[in-house]
Amino acid sequence: MSKIEKALNKAKSTGSLRVIPSQNDREREDKPLAETTRSNMPVATIDIEQRANASELIARMREIAPLDKHALTQYRLIHPEMGENSTVRAFREIRTKVIQKTQGRNCVIMVTSVTSKGGSSFVSLNLSAAFAFDAGKTALLMDCNFRNPFLHKMFNARKEPYHGLTDYLENPDIDIADIIHPIGIERLRVIPSGGQREIPAEYFTSVKMRRLLESIRQRYRERYIVLDAPPMTESADTQIIAELCDYVVLVVPYGKVSDAQVVNSAKAIGEKKLLGVVFNNEPVPPDLGWRILFRNPLAFIAKAFKR
Amino acid sequence: MNLQPEHRVKVLINEVFSYRKAVVAVFVAVNLIALGLGLVWPKGYTSSTTILVDDKKIIQPLMQGAAVATEVADRARLTREVIFGRKIMNQILESVGWMKDKLSPEEQEKIIERIRKKTNLTSVGKDIIKIEYSDDEAERAFKTAKKFAELFIAESLGAKAAESQAAFDFIDKQTEEYHDKLVKAEDQLKEFRSANLDARPGSDADISTRLSTLQSRIEQSSQDLKEAEVKKISLEKQLSGEAEVANVLSREGQFRTRIAELQSQLETLRLSYLETYPDIVRIKHQIEDLNEAIADDRQKRSAAKATGKVTVDDSVINNPMYQQLRRELSQTQITIDTLNARIGEAKRQLSQELERGKRVHGSEATISELTRDYQVNRDIYQDLLKRRENARVSMNLDKERQGLSFKIQEPALLPLEPSGLRFLHFVIGGMLAGVLLPLGLIYAKLQVDPRIYIGQMIADRHKLPLLAVVPHLWSPAETQVVRREIGWLSLTTTVSVAVIITVSVLRFMKVI
Repeated sequence: MSKIEKALNKAKSTGSLRVIPSQNDREREDKPLAETTRSNMPVATIDIEQRANASELIARMREIAPLDKHALTQYRLIHPEMGENSTVRAFREIRTKVIQKTQGRNCVIMVTSVTSKGGSSFVSLNLSAAFAFDAGKTALLMDCNFRNPFLHKMFNARKEPYHGLTDYLENPDIDIADIIHPIGIERLRVIPSGGQREIPAEYFTSVKMRRLLESIRQRYRERYIVLDAPPMTESADTQIIAELCDYVVLVVPYGKVSDAQVVNSAKAIGEKKLLGVVFNNEPVPPDLGWRILFRNPLAFIAKAFKR
Repeated sequence: MNLQPEHRVKVLINEVFSYRKAVVAVFVAVNLIALGLGLVWPKGYTSSTTILVDDKKIIQPLMQGAAVATEVADRARLTREVIFGRKIMNQILESVGWMKDKLSPEEQEKIIERIRKKTNLTSVGKDIIKIEYSDDEAERAFKTAKKFAELFIAESLGAKAAESQAAFDFIDKQTEEYHDKLVKAEDQLKEFRSANLDARPGSDADISTRLSTLQSRIEQSSQDLKEAEVKKISLEKQLSGEAEVANVLSREGQFRTRIAELQSQLETLRLSYLETYPDIVRIKHQIEDLNEAIADDRQKRSAAKATGKVTVDDSVINNPMYQQLRRELSQTQITIDTLNARIGEAKRQLSQELERGKRVHGSEATISELTRDYQVNRDIYQDLLKRRENARVSMNLDKERQGLSFKIQEPALLPLEPSGLRFLHFVIGGMLAGVLLPLGLIYAKLQVDPRIYIGQMIADRHKLPLLAVVPHLWSPAETQVVRREIGWLSLTTTVSVAVIITVSVLRFMKVI
């Protein structure tokens, strides 16, 4: 180790030297979060400072035009305007539990369903959205369900070519920045599955995949990465993807699976990685606005039969 | 699936919401079916009558042991047997008016079967029989129930009287038979007794006494006879031995005495005379003759010994001792003869008695058999006589209608209100079934379905951390669809309930 290096290290350790991110927006977004000063400062102070830095970085994220209500409804997305909706409340609850479990550190969460059409895409999308509700946090949703992807629906309307996960894994020329797309929800980024529908499971074990996850995780301290994986019972890829993740959320659809299926899936994931189970799509009747019935019955009836 | 009560309600609500269309469809269908059934269901009129079976209340204690009152074990069963018999059924058909049109036997059988099905017989309490009959027509129901009660009473009493009459007749017949038997047994006994006069009771002992007397007599006589015979032999021996000695003594002794006398004379003469002297010669001759006589006698005796012939001399015969012996011998001979005759007689009598004994034994067995027959017949006859009198009293009881009597406690009435399932029952039942059937089906489905309907169960049962239960996210469009659906379903339900109410009101106003 040269003298200069020694001096640099010393300067870093004393806090007299700081690596400042570039001013270029694009550049800044794509660079990993710098290892900043650690020592000689109280841990809480460092944390607060780092959080403030992260929030600042997140606030500077480039956004596209936000999705309108129609699109939100179409994609079955929750949004803060929904208020005290029980679904929103449920996702907030999940988010809180995840943050508690990870003790505030960002992590990679795989969402998988016990069976197909179990709602893993719905849960992963809305969980990401729930993370993004918080102005201090960002979320990245990665669609790993190549056989039955759903994120591409959001891009099909745009009529412009885009790259996804498979393109990135196949094509060395494509950069990470090319596959991360904003979708019109603040602080939420997505990586669609890409043009390739069938890719071998080995891709998930490749170094490139690991590096991708590592780099997107380190880019923002407060970024939560959510992976939408195929159902446990249908794809062997799920097990491999689970290996890459920190935690797994298992989606159990209402009235579709038996106890044994749930137990088997939970066993396959392993107790260590299993963050928890989300019981999805309970058919609770919607709020039909019964109060109006008593206030103005005719209006209620008229509303009921309105097309 | 085992659910906790609070979960159960929640799942049920969710499922009812999921299957809302089916639930309403089932509700409407069940209600309309029930309404239709209620409209077409035939009205039933039921008429009932109760019969009090008043049995042996006063008469029985009085007639205790003397008469047997006919028992009625299971009244309802008995009543059923009687009423459903062809006899009463035919009368019912005739009198109630089924037979107005000429019916074929098959049709009659069908009607009888229908009446049987619609008749209900129950034992109310111990002594009351209830006869219930339901029919489409009120009057027919009333008539049939009334007729059933009347016919049942008549038939039961008739049957009872007939039964006790039959019992009396039977016992009477039996009594007559046993009387004949008894008379016959008496005759036989009499005949036998006259044929076997000595076969009296006790003749057995008599005979045995007599036999032993005879036997002892024979034994005594035999002993006497033996004694007499021994005496006779001894006498004979003595007699023969005595003669010999006497003979010797008498003849030889006489000769030798004579010879000695002559010898002394001779000696005397010789002293004075010569040998030639005539006296001496004569005495000499005489001595020789006497010696010859002795020799001759001895020869005779030896000859007699050789031949065994005892020649008794007259001198011996004249011996008093001899004569005495001879007398005794003769006496003994007489005794022997007498005894022999006596033994013979006793033996004859003995054999006679033995014969009689055998005869008496045989006849005794016969007589005891005849007596036994007679006694058994007599006992049975006497018993039957008593029974016949009891049966006569029982028969008279039934004839006088004193034993088991029937009384119509509550006469059949003409039913004014229809009975059984009514229109209102169908309406209420339909409403209840319409609600409960879909709920029950959903509940049953949940019970057998192994799939998970409650998120909490995952945490409770498998100890897996449950992050959250995510309800379905209703978009405004979906909510509107649901709202419209519920609107239509509510309308359908309301309309069907309104239809039911309208029909019910019309029904009660007797429009329909």
